[in-house]
Amino acid sequence: MQRSPSLSATAGDMGAVAFCNALFRRNEMVLLLCLAMVIVFFSLASGSFFTIRNFANVFGQASLAMIAGIGVGVIVLAGEIDISIGSLAGAAGIPLVVIMNNGGSLELGIAGALALALTVGLVNGYLAAYLGINSLIVTLGSMFVIRGLIYLYTGQKAIPDEQSLESFYQIGNGRLLGTVPYSALTAFALLMGFMYLMRHRPFGRNIYAVGGNPEVARLAGFNVKGIKFICFVISAVLAGISGILLSSRLGSAVHVAGLGFEFQVVAAVVLGGVSLAGGVGSLFGVALGVLILSFLSNGFGMLDVPTEWQEVATGIIIITAVAFDEYKRQRK
Amino acid sequence: MPAEPSPIATQDGPALEVIGINKRFPGVVALEDVDLTLEPGKVHALMGENGAGKSTLIKILAGVYRKDSGAIRIGGMDADLRTPRDALRQGIKVVFQEIALISEFTVAENIYLERYPTDRLGSVDWSAIRKDAAALFERIGFDIDPAAKVGDLPVSQQQMVEIARALAHQAKIVVMDEPTSSLTPKEVELLFNVIKRLTGLGIAVLYVTHKLGEVFEIADTVTVLRDGCRISTKPIIEHTQDSLVQDMIGRHIENLFPHSRDMTGGATILSVEGLSTAKLTDINFEARAGEVLGFFGLMGAGRTELAKAIVGFDPIHTGRIVIDGKALLPHDTRTGVALGIGLLSEDRKTEGLMPELSVLHNASLAALRQFTIAGFVDEGRERGAVQQFIDKFRVKTPSLHQEIKYLSGGNQQKVLLARWLMRGLKVIVVDEPTRGIDVGAKSEIFALLDRLAGEGLAVVMMTSEMPELLGLSDRIAVMAGGRITTIINRNEATQEAILNAAIA
Repeated sequence: MQRSPSLSATAGDMGAVAFCNALFRRNEMVLLLCLAMVIVFFSLASGSFFTIRNFANVFGQASLAMIAGIGVGVIVLAGEIDISIGSLAGAAGIPLVVIMNNGGSLELGIAGALALALTVGLVNGYLAAYLGINSLIVTLGSMFVIRGLIYLYTGQKAIPDEQSLESFYQIGNGRLLGTVPYSALTAFALLMGFMYLMRHRPFGRNIYAVGGNPEVARLAGFNVKGIKFICFVISAVLAGISGILLSSRLGSAVHVAGLGFEFQVVAAVVLGGVSLAGGVGSLFGVALGVLILSFLSNGFGMLDVPTEWQEVATGIIIITAVAFDEYKRQRK
Repeated sequence: MPAEPSPIATQDGPALEVIGINKRFPGVVALEDVDLTLEPGKVHALMGENGAGKSTLIKILAGVYRKDSGAIRIGGMDADLRTPRDALRQGIKVVFQEIALISEFTVAENIYLERYPTDRLGSVDWSAIRKDAAALFERIGFDIDPAAKVGDLPVSQQQMVEIARALAHQAKIVVMDEPTSSLTPKEVELLFNVIKRLTGLGIAVLYVTHKLGEVFEIADTVTVLRDGCRISTKPIIEHTQDSLVQDMIGRHIENLFPHSRDMTGGATILSVEGLSTAKLTDINFEARAGEVLGFFGLMGAGRTELAKAIVGFDPIHTGRIVIDGKALLPHDTRTGVALGIGLLSEDRKTEGLMPELSVLHNASLAALRQFTIAGFVDEGRERGAVQQFIDKFRVKTPSLHQEIKYLSGGNQQKVLLARWLMRGLKVIVVDEPTRGIDVGAKSEIFALLDRLAGEGLAVVMMTSEMPELLGLSDRIAVMAGGRITTIINRNEATQEAILNAAIA
C-alpha cells in the first residue's frame, strides 16, 4: 500500500480528495467528464446541437473511426501499432465495387473486401510478429504499398458503383426507424463484442499480458508471436469493415478514400488513454476518445469554426490528454 | 478448477533427472556434463558462485534456453523442454529472481495467468479467480490482498505471489532462483514454511542460492556447480560450512584477494554530510585517499541509490557532498566528473557500455577533450593513451578496434574502469564491480581496485557479496533501510556483525 504522508488536508477535505483521486485514477471517468463537458458546451453554444437528429448523425459519423479504432486499440494494447489501416480502408472499396459492377452480389463484394483485408492482416502480422520487424516500419511500408497499388489500379480516379444496389447504399447510409444509423449499430455491436473479448476472454487478457510485458508472457507459456499475429489480423479486418461502410457512403471506390484516416484513429486511441507502450488502456476509453473527437468536430462545424482550427484544436487536446496521463504517472 | 492442491500421486523414483547436460555459448562453456536428480518431497539446493552455471541450468529447465546435449527426464519420462510452455505443461514452475508478473494486473489475475479458470462459455471466471486466490493465500498464510495491483506491491510480496502461482498450477517441480535476495528475515521464515508445505505435498523443490545459512536450514541435498561443472552432490548433513565453501570456490578465499597495501590514513578526499534523498536518510561518511571503503547491504538497503547520489546522478533532498574541499552541485554529473568522482555502474549493459562501439571509443569516451585540438580529436594521442591502459590493466582484446560487446564481462569492466581513470579521478565509486564476471577475472578486478587504492585513489565499493566485502575493504559501512547502520574497520569485522547490522 502506498501512503502519501505529504498529503496535508484537513479531515473535512479528506473525503473530497479521496473521491477526486478515485475519480481521476480511472482514466475512463476523466474521459466521460470531458465528453460531458464537450456536449454541454456545444449545447449551450448552438441550438441545434442537442437534438436526437444531430446525435444520431454524430454516432453515424463516428462509427467508421470507432470500428477501425477497436482494431487499432487491440493492436496497441498488444504493444504493436498498425498505421496501414487508412490505405486498407480505402482499398477495401475496390474489390467491393468491382465485384458488384461485374454482376456480383453485395455479399460477394463484401467477401472480396474482407478477403483483401485478411490478406493484408496476414502479411503485416507475419512480417511484424513472426519476422520481428518493427510494426511501425512494417505498416508504414504497407500503407505506402497499398496506396500506390490503389493509384495504379484506379488510374487516380474513383470507380463509381454502376449497379446502384439499394442494399449497398443502405449498409452505410440506412437508419433503423429512420433515426439510428445502421453503421452506428454495427460499431456498437463490434465494440460490445471486443470489450467482452478484452475483458472476459482468456485470449483478451493474454493480449494485455503480451503488451504489458512480453518477456513475462513468454515465461508464462504464452504464444506471444501468435497472439500478436492475430491482433494484426483483427486490426486489418476491422479496417476492412470500416472501408466497406466508407465505400457505401461515398457510393464508389474512391482512390483517395481513407487518406489520413490512420492518424485520426491513432489520435482517438491515444486520447482514449491507451499507452503506446502496450498493455495499458481499454476499448471503452478508445470509444470515448472517438466520441470526444467526433462531437468536437460536429460542434465546431455547427459554430462554423474552420476545419483548420479544428485540426489545431485536436492536436492540442491530444497532447494535453497524454501530458495529463504522464503527470498522473509521475506523481505516483 | 480444483481449488485445493491435492498431494501428487506418490510415484517411485525421482521427480526430475538431468543427465549429462551440456550448454555452450560463444566462447564459454556454461554447463559441462551436469547431472542433477530431484526427489519428490525433498529440497535440493543448487549452489555456486556467480557464473558457475546455475542460471543457465535453471533457464534450461524453464524452457528458455535449449540444451546442446544430454537428457531431462520428468517422472521417468523423457521430456523435451523447447519453450516455457513445455516446461509449465510438464509441471516445472520456475520462480525467477526477476519478478515475472504483469504489473498492471491484479494479484489474483497474475496467479491464474497461465490458465484462467473459465465458465461454461469459456469466459474468464473472475469470481472464481478472486475466491480461489483468497482461499489459496489463507491456506498458505500469505497476507496479500488478491485485488491489489501487482505493480503497487513491494518486491517481497511480488515474490510471494510468484510462489503462490506455482501452487495454484499444481507444479510437481518448483525451482526457486535466489528467492530470499529481496526478503526480510520474517519473510524468509514465511518462505521456508511455504517450502515445507510444498514438500509436504510431494513437490520437488530446487533451491538455487549462494547463501550458506539458508542451505543448512532448508535443504536435504546440495549440488555445487563451479565453472559449469558439477563439483559435488551430497546430503546436507555430510557438509560443513567450510566444505561447502571449499566446493564452491575451489581454493582458499584469501588467494582471491591480494591486499598488497598498508592501509595508512590518507587525507580525506570525499566527505558526505547529512545526505538525504527519496531513498536515503541522513548519510554521513568520509572516504580517504588510498583506501577501499566497502558498503554492504541487502537488496533495497540503498547502496545503488547512494552511489548514484554521491556522483551527482540522482537528485538529493538535503546534505552536502564535498570532494577534495569542493562541494559537488547535487544532481549534476558534470561537476561531479570535473571534481574527480566517477561511477562504475552495477548495470554494465545499460549504464556503462556502448556495445556497438570499439574498445578504443568506449575507453576514451569521457576523456575526449584531452585529445582534442581545435575541435578535432587527435586520434594518435587517443590511441596511445587508451593503449597504455589496455596494457596496464591487461585487457584481453584482439585489437583496440574490436567492438566491446565481444569482450568477456571482466574485460569489459576493465575498459570501463579505464574510461574513468583516463579522466584522472580522485574518487571512484564501483557498484557491484564483479557482477556477471567469472571467478578468474574477479580476482583480476580485485587486484586492479587494490592497486588503484594503492596509487592514492579513494575507492568506494558497493557490494552484496560478503567475501568481496571482507577481502577487499579497509573499512566497511553497512546499510539498511536507506541508512548507514555502522562503519567498522576491517580487522574488527565479522560476517555475523555485518549481517546483524544489515538487518537492523
